[in-house]
Amino acid sequence: MIIDVSENSLTFEGDLDLDAVGEHYKQLMDWLAKNREKNIYLDLAHLNYLDSAGVALLDELYDKAQKQGTRLHFVAAPNNIQATISAFSSRHIQKPEPKPVFPLFERVGQWAYQIWLEFVYLIYLVSDAFYFTVIQLVSRKGVRKGEFSNQCILIGMDAFPIVALISFLIGFILALQSAAQLRQFGASIYVADLVAISMTREMGPIMTAIIFAGRSGSSIAAEIATMVVTEETDALKSMGLNPIRYNLVPKIHAISMMMPLLTVLSMLLGILGSMVIGITYLDIGVKPFYNQVVNALILKDIVTGIIKSVVFAWLIVLTAAAYGFRTRGGAADVGRATTASVVTSIFLVILADSLLGLIFYFDPTSPI
Amino acid sequence: MTNESDNIVSVAHLTSGYNGDKVLDDVSMVARENEITVILGASGCGKTTLLKHLIRLFYPWSGSIAIFGQEITDMDEPEFNELLLKIGVLFQNGALLNSITVSENIAIPLEQHTTLPATLIQRLVLIKLGLVELSHALDKLPSELSGGMRKRASLARAIALDPPLLFCDEPSAGLDPVTSESLDRLLLKLRDDLGMSMVIVSHELASIHRIADSIVFLDDGKCLFCGPVNEAKSAGIAEIDRFFRVGEFG
Ligand SMILES: Nc1ncnc2c1ncn2[C@@H]1O[C@H](COP(=O)(O)OP(=O)(O)OP(=O)(O)O)[C@@H](O)[C@H]1O
Ligand SMILES: [Mg+2]
Repeated sequence: MIIDVSENSLTFEGDLDLDAVGEHYKQLMDWLAKNREKNIYLDLAHLNYLDSAGVALLDELYDKAQKQGTRLHFVAAPNNIQATISAFSSRHIQKPEPKPVFPLFERVGQWAYQIWLEFVYLIYLVSDAFYFTVIQLVSRKGVRKGEFSNQCILIGMDAFPIVALISFLIGFILALQSAAQLRQFGASIYVADLVAISMTREMGPIMTAIIFAGRSGSSIAAEIATMVVTEETDALKSMGLNPIRYNLVPKIHAISMMMPLLTVLSMLLGILGSMVIGITYLDIGVKPFYNQVVNALILKDIVTGIIKSVVFAWLIVLTAAAYGFRTRGGAADVGRATTASVVTSIFLVILADSLLGLIFYFDPTSPI
Repeated sequence: MTNESDNIVSVAHLTSGYNGDKVLDDVSMVARENEITVILGASGCGKTTLLKHLIRLFYPWSGSIAIFGQEITDMDEPEFNELLLKIGVLFQNGALLNSITVSENIAIPLEQHTTLPATLIQRLVLIKLGLVELSHALDKLPSELSGGMRKRASLARAIALDPPLLFCDEPSAGLDPVTSESLDRLLLKLRDDLGMSMVIVSHELASIHRIADSIVFLDDGKCLFCGPVNEAKSAGIAEIDRFFRVGEFG
């Protein structure tokens, strides 16, 4: 590419293609900016090849010149070059109007309305989910065969090892840390009470719920979100199937059953973990430790733990579904929905735990 | 017999498939420079698979593939990436990046592979979108476009760098006949004005009649015919005759 510049003319020779444009763009723009001529002639007679980048450059020169009151004249362009220019020129293409920016109050209104819509949507989702969860108990239609046991394995069995391990370690650590304190008062045996009560009332349900939120909640959200963006849910609807029923209900059934089971397991293993400390470190026998645990616990501790776990299960699965079904767009939105679902469900679990703790154990007349 | 050096794509005895299932069986074909070569054949016969082999998304079990006269099956990565800059690809399902707007999608190759300043890139994006008649959808997200619009937007991305070689997988599938016709005119314009060579998968008979210089006919993974359009009809191959006969109406 050779460019020949003089006061009021510009001669191109050779190929004005992408590489040439990248190379000469700055130089040409600088030349034009300094130029004060009224008319400039662009001689294209010796131009051999022009691609769309070249046309873009010519357009840019033309517009810039026009802005500074100069007129560009393309002269002696061979037919093929002329054809390329008219085929690719951007000067007649209309840009879309920029979106109007609404005034503050309208935006606030819109935002509030949006939140209201989301709330309504949530109510619909939750009521649909409840409705179909109950219906599904009597009618087996609308769900793939074997999906329930499939989900039980996916959600429950696969979480079993990690729940077991973490609960055992939590019990172990709790015992170790409290032993150091209680020992000073000669009250080592109360390690058993402490761990038994905290595992059944709090740690068991909470730890299981957090693990479930991370494992199952995220995968449920990702699965549903992907189905939405790839139009699979639309396809289900077109086949007369309800996506909530087809997809979500088996998961709700499975998680409502597996969470309490694993929570009980978690309680047991936590106590077992503390027993290891009791026996080895504190020199309490198996029998006395066991008796101490049994005496410390009342039925209410275990029942409230299980009730909590069911509530948590529902929170996790519905949060995942809410984010999943509301996803629009593409791959990145699936990722966002998944993360948001995990964070929100852990927050909701802890919030619910506080509320339930107050309901079950708060007694204004006497301390527990 | 045509001159070897005119062949911009040449595939010889290509056999390949997925996980042990053979899909392409000893396929040999060529696409010549400055021509539009249309690959046709029944659904599921391996057209997309063949196209994906040409850009090395899959490696063949055996056979050779040469593009711009260079064998690509044993080319090293940097060299092949260099070659890919000269190839534009339109995927069957569009394959736009969904998290960014249409114009940003088209700007990707321009920003990554050229030294052009931002204003020129914006102008080029506008040019390309204007060519596919989508300049009004500049700031939309791909998920806000119709199926046919997505297809056109990805064509705009495929031609962003004015590649000398363009692969299109069913560019006009899902488009109405009028839009389809103007898309064909665009392809012809690209061939004539910029000298692009194209390999296009298409089923649309009307479109094939308008744009094809040569055709490659695949049937169940085998290449039954490769040559100029008019010869195809007189070659006396039953499958091809059937294809053209069934597609006609009136
Ligand atoms: N990723 C894949 N894994 C396994 N098999 C595949 C894959 N992609 C395609 N196939 C198989 O390869 C064969 C050819 O598929 P291909 O997509 O090439 O067909 P096509 O000719 O493009 O069809 P269409 O016109 O419907 O797009 C089909 O039998 C298909 O089942
Ligand atoms: Mg295909």
